Amino acid sequence: MSDKLKQVLSKQSKQQQNESIDQSDDIVQLVGFIIGEEEYAIPILSIQEIIKPFTWTRVPQVPKYVMGVFNLRGAVIPLIDLRLKFGLSEKKHSDETRFIVMKDRDDVAGFVIDRLTMAIRIKKGNIGPAPDTVNGDNTMIDGVGKQEDKIITILKVNKLLERDF
Amino acid sequence: MDEFQEILQDFLVEAFELVEKLDEDLVELESTPEDLELLNGIFRVAHTIKGASSFLNFDVLTHLTHHMEDVLNKARHGELIITPDVMDVVLESIDLMKSLLSIIRDTSSDAGVDVSECVVRLDKISGGDGDVPTPVASAPIIEATLDEPEEAKEEEDEPDYDNMSDDDVEAEIQRLLEQRQEEDKAKRAAKVAAGEEVLAPPPDPDEEAPSEPAKASKPEKKPEPKAEPIKAPVPRASTKAKSMNDDEGLDAKAAAPAKRTNNTVDQTIRVDVKRLDHLMNLIGELVLAKNRLIKINDDVEERYEGEEFLEELNQVVSIVSLVTTDLQIAVMKTRMLPIGKVFNKFPRMIRDLSRELNKKIELTIKGEETELDKSIVEEIGDPLVHIIRNSCDHGIETPEVRLANGKNETGTISLKAYNEGNQIVIQIDDDGKGLNAEILKSKALEKGLISEKEADNMGEKEAFMLIMKPGFSMAAAVTNVSGRGVGMDVVKTNIEKVNGIIDIESETGIGSSVKLKIPLTLAIIQALLVGVQEEAYAIPLSSVLETVRISKDEIYTVESRSVMRLRDDVLSLVHIGDIFEVERILDSSEHAYVVVLGLGAQKLGLIVDSLVGQEEIVIKSLGEYLKGIEGIAGATIRGDGGVTLIVDVVALMDIAKNVKATSMISDQKSESAQSREKTKASDYTIMIVDDSKTDRMIMRKSLEATGMSLVEATDGQEALNILKQGDHHFDAMLIDIEMPRMDGYTLATEIKKYNRYKTMPLIAVTSRTGKSDRMRGVESGMVEYITKPYSADYLSSVVQRNVNFKSEFLS
Repeated sequence: MSDKLKQVLSKQSKQQQNESIDQSDDIVQLVGFIIGEEEYAIPILSIQEIIKPFTWTRVPQVPKYVMGVFNLRGAVIPLIDLRLKFGLSEKKHSDETRFIVMKDRDDVAGFVIDRLTMAIRIKKGNIGPAPDTVNGDNTMIDGVGKQEDKIITILKVNKLLERDF
Repeated sequence: MDEFQEILQDFLVEAFELVEKLDEDLVELESTPEDLELLNGIFRVAHTIKGASSFLNFDVLTHLTHHMEDVLNKARHGELIITPDVMDVVLESIDLMKSLLSIIRDTSSDAGVDVSECVVRLDKISGGDGDVPTPVASAPIIEATLDEPEEAKEEEDEPDYDNMSDDDVEAEIQRLLEQRQEEDKAKRAAKVAAGEEVLAPPPDPDEEAPSEPAKASKPEKKPEPKAEPIKAPVPRASTKAKSMNDDEGLDAKAAAPAKRTNNTVDQTIRVDVKRLDHLMNLIGELVLAKNRLIKINDDVEERYEGEEFLEELNQVVSIVSLVTTDLQIAVMKTRMLPIGKVFNKFPRMIRDLSRELNKKIELTIKGEETELDKSIVEEIGDPLVHIIRNSCDHGIETPEVRLANGKNETGTISLKAYNEGNQIVIQIDDDGKGLNAEILKSKALEKGLISEKEADNMGEKEAFMLIMKPGFSMAAAVTNVSGRGVGMDVVKTNIEKVNGIIDIESETGIGSSVKLKIPLTLAIIQALLVGVQEEAYAIPLSSVLETVRISKDEIYTVESRSVMRLRDDVLSLVHIGDIFEVERILDSSEHAYVVVLGLGAQKLGLIVDSLVGQEEIVIKSLGEYLKGIEGIAGATIRGDGGVTLIVDVVALMDIAKNVKATSMISDQKSESAQSREKTKASDYTIMIVDDSKTDRMIMRKSLEATGMSLVEATDGQEALNILKQGDHHFDAMLIDIEMPRMDGYTLATEIKKYNRYKTMPLIAVTSRTGKSDRMRGVESGMVEYITKPYSADYLSSVVQRNVNFKSEFLS
């Protein structure tokens, strides 16, 4: 009896393990945010922190979307306005505006977004490739995540952190 | 493995140091071949390296050093005269040693460098035929000759067999030493993992030649005194004791470089540079925190003037700041290296160059003990190489020309380092033919590096600086030594990288002098903080010559460039706002400050709105994303936590050349035109500033009837922020006088600083009725003065009158 029980238990635990492995393999965790009208997302692991806006210092001779630099606990970090970067008009910061500090290896930068939505768990299978119209390797779009009621554009963090001027 | 690596690391550090010294000594030896002391020193170094490398089983290295040692030994005994040709071979073997050591450092093995050719040549010099090396002289002999070179020599001439008994003593000493070594070895063997080959008995090397050297350092020692008793040391107890001591020291060194058992031990430890860098970063953070503390202290002082605790706070703050400064200096000092580290390689270089160029050149070095930050020492090596090569190639003339010009046949290059303020000056002088400004200019014109106009306006010093331009070369042909037009460009880039300044002086026919002025450290600098509009910038104080306050009519425009007279000079001016694209929001006042920047011979006046003060700042990089912004050298974090950009003075000078006359009077952007046509009552926007909610309510009620848009602020600061945001275009403001944070007068004064609000009517609404209050109101720019209490109609009519409210909007 007890042997049988053990067998069943071990079987169950094995199954559970398998399941959990499946889960971590298949599911991508993202953080969604709004810029303009659209919802975008980036992998949760590439986010260092999310902070409320505070003062920054303008830097000359850079494109308009580079707002300047700010002090993040002693480190000087560039601040990039994603609205301007995506070709939208400038907007005053509101209560919902946030700085998302993203990192990719040694590169770190703060990005201004209009508002956060939520943390998203999405199956890998539900992420499609970037539409063909977006050209080649230069795209900032990693893929398109499909959810029941909407689609989310997933951005490449390394591309965002790449200097393109 | 770790143990072995540790020993290996120590060996490498020591070996590199020794080889460096060897290089230097050999060159010196060439000029004074008689110097036995020096020769012995060289021999000792070579021997030490040989011993250590054989211990670590680096057979190729041992093989090479062994043969070199042979040659040196012969020279030491007067059997060989060191001619330049011999020296060439010896130096070549040193170079091979260096590359072997580098390979060992990278791969932990000494394979991959072919030394056989050099070894054969060495062997030939020492009298061998290239394949049967004779047994090497070993440690005891060296020591003997070292301690008593004279007597030892005498003994060689006159063998004294009476000393046999002493030889026995010597042999006993040797035996004991041997035993000690064996013990030492055994201990090490026990420590090192069993599998390590390091301590395996010296394996039979691949060739016959190295079989001797591999064993040489140890097994040879014992038989030596017996085999050649002639060379035994002098029979004096004290001497023996001494020689034993020395022996021990040397052998210990040879066996394990990690053990430095000198009697006069230097009180030093080796520290990983990374740890020092980390320490320096921490100090940087501390300096920032200190700045912040000082700022807070100032604020508190202002607010609680006369309070008792202030004094205590003041004391603490000043102690913290004092200790921080001391700490910073102390840490800076730990990172200091004598510049001799760099200078040392030049005697050899000069020697090689003079042989290559067939010139006679002498190098004098002064101030090699001058200390510099490690990172800077690393950075200035290359520039110095290029400057010296340049001096050798272009500066110093050939002996014939020199004689014809009545100069000494031998040219002199002198290398000097000294402190000057908080800078280090490295000066390279030569007595060659000097620079000719005119020729330099025409050459630069020819290469299209400058325009004709530029050439005409160029002073002598600026012309000299042409040699630093990339692509500029005076050499008619590209030689091995120079002529590619890159070298001096490297000088400029590297020196500027460490915030240094280059200054060239020259007199045709007499010689030239290059001065490199380099700051003591990189990370923390003194800076002058300047303000422009609402921004602040930090200018490294080392480039600031002076500051002057001028009024606007002192600025003249010449050829669409702004200039001013500074005493007897004409100084070209540039507005910092034009360089950094600063938006002119605030109206600039009648006066401006000019920061006179100096960089070598160049001068530039930088117009700023205000001088904030001097501060110690910590340079932080802007990071990969923002690197390479012209005119910005980095950023620093200020006492208030904000980021301030640091001006790159070098780049600024370049940018300034292309900036046209500064428009001191900012174009009146027809901001007023923005007071667009009013089509309805709500197009009028009024701001109400009052700290009392009731008062705001009363004002709101009074004006609501007119249908104007109303915005409220609870104090001056908030009102100013709303204005700055620019979300609304205000037609008038109602301002209470007594408010927390910022009162009405101050607010009015602040508002009037903005161009776009110059004409906006400000209406004071207050219970202060004194005449002086009214006067102050007028002075600060208020147009109306409404005293509380007032009727709603009165307020409304005053506002309507001031904003030209069209009556038809009144419903």
